[in-house]
Amino acid sequence: MKIFFSLLIVMSLAWAGDATIEVIKKADSLPSLAVEDASVDYDNTFKLRFFKSLIADLNVLSLFNVDRHHRMNEYDDSDVLSANKDMNYVLRYKMTKGDADALTLDVKLFTNTQEVFSKRYRVNKKNIYMFISHAIAYDINEFMGEPSVAWMKRKVIFSRIIAPKKSEIVIADYTLSYQHVIIKGGLDIFPKWANKGQTAFYYSSLSSFKPTLKYVDIKTAKVKNIISSDGMMICSDVSNDGKKLLLTMARDGQPDIYMYNVQTRKYKRITTYRGIDVNGQFLGKNKIIFISSRLGYPNVFSKQLDTGVVEQMVYYGKSNSSCSAQGHYIVYAARESSNAFSANTFNLHLISTKTDFIRRLTATGVNEFPRFSKDGDAIIFIKNYKRQSAIGIIRLMHNKNYLFPLKSGKIQSMDW
Amino acid sequence: MKSIILSSVVAALLVLSGCSTKEPAVDKKTEEVAAPSVQEVAPVATETVASENANVNASTNELSMSAVESKLPTVYFAFDKYNITAGMQEKIDAAAELGKSGAKSFSVKLEGNCDEWGSDEYNFALGLKRANAVKKALVADGIDASRISMVSYGESNPVCTAHTKECWSQNRRVNFKLLP
Repeated sequence: MKIFFSLLIVMSLAWAGDATIEVIKKADSLPSLAVEDASVDYDNTFKLRFFKSLIADLNVLSLFNVDRHHRMNEYDDSDVLSANKDMNYVLRYKMTKGDADALTLDVKLFTNTQEVFSKRYRVNKKNIYMFISHAIAYDINEFMGEPSVAWMKRKVIFSRIIAPKKSEIVIADYTLSYQHVIIKGGLDIFPKWANKGQTAFYYSSLSSFKPTLKYVDIKTAKVKNIISSDGMMICSDVSNDGKKLLLTMARDGQPDIYMYNVQTRKYKRITTYRGIDVNGQFLGKNKIIFISSRLGYPNVFSKQLDTGVVEQMVYYGKSNSSCSAQGHYIVYAARESSNAFSANTFNLHLISTKTDFIRRLTATGVNEFPRFSKDGDAIIFIKNYKRQSAIGIIRLMHNKNYLFPLKSGKIQSMDW
Repeated sequence: MKSIILSSVVAALLVLSGCSTKEPAVDKKTEEVAAPSVQEVAPVATETVASENANVNASTNELSMSAVESKLPTVYFAFDKYNITAGMQEKIDAAAELGKSGAKSFSVKLEGNCDEWGSDEYNFALGLKRANAVKKALVADGIDASRISMVSYGESNPVCTAHTKECWSQNRRVNFKLLP
């Protein structure tokens, strides 16, 4: 009996850490947090804009029940507003105009009327205010001693189609509210960060004679040609150390996955199937996952790099045409209806190579471009629902999805 | 915090100004062929040299690249498929005939395209497999493979943008683009 119980405990502990099994934290049990604005400078429109951004970021932390009322208070007042008296935490901030459009922001956190945290932030231009709001949320999360949300500070790079054969590559914050066009004029697609520090990226250019993979160093603004292939040339994944790339190339019109060594500039063919093999992703040190048409429709497979053994990874969904891997987790998009066209639903699913569980991560609409954060804590994706597009953040361990509406055109590809 | 934002913004601006925009290399060639140098050359070639050769040259020159291109078909495909149907095979056979006569002096670039369903790399691969299927059919019809290049535009080059079945079927296609 004792053995049985200890086994049960061990099993439940082991499962508790697995993100494919739902972890539900009840909203009621989270501590409450209110935000007080003490800004004197700036008009109400901007005050409200910043407030909304901060509330959204604090919500994404999934640590608080965040009060959405925009209330003003004096920054140096030792008491919180009477409306906020019963709150577990009160965050107060004050924005100040600096020289030449600079924005300074002071923030402090109260709990039980005690000030427990304070910090000053500054940006040179007021229109990049969202980076301050992300930084505040990051710091509050650190202060609470929770696992890092460093991905909040990371940048998203994406390409969007603006006209037939015309695209733009854009660098943005994780909510895509700040957007900076970095390449435009041709058909430049499939951008991928080249390293952890996000100081460079790869992209495919279809503007030259042959599809060409290019490398852009953001600091020096230098563009380098890496490799070309007839038909198709895409960088699907970059290894953690940035030294190896998984490419989809089509020598002789045959799309297959190749491993490219950045230092030696040599490549090696990894898949040889006659149909379609694309979207290679590193899974641990000795394995890749990829999308293949081996079954007559797109689905997720893995290949052991030393033995060459190929294994079907997903047994659910009518058409699973994109995936992303992190640690032993795989997220993939699956078409749920069997009719190819009418009212299609594409949902994201999470599987683990260590369990047989499938966890559905989205419920409605067309959900695509899933990408893990570098630490695997969150997944970013695009949701299209009822003619509305939004960028979504899934907090795996908190079982919560957050959506930020998008205004810009159709996104072609995205990396985080 | 400050330095990260500063550097990224400045760097981003630098890169933007550093990247010249390149137009696709397909356009702008027609002019060079019809240069006025013809007037000087013509008297030399007149008399007896080779009337047959002269005729052949003249006939191919008559059909400008864009005129030939307009005679080439668009090959359509079924959803998530890259096999060529019987109806489309006839079109490709006709194109191959043209490739041996009027378009003899040109190379062709096959552009594979897809509808908006299925995103990402898979769609690009599908577009390419379509272009490759057309290439194989052309080669089987006697066109030299070295005259054919391919590119896939995935869903990034639609001819129709409405969200209807008819529209999607127009986008699942391979276009012929001639190169000199």
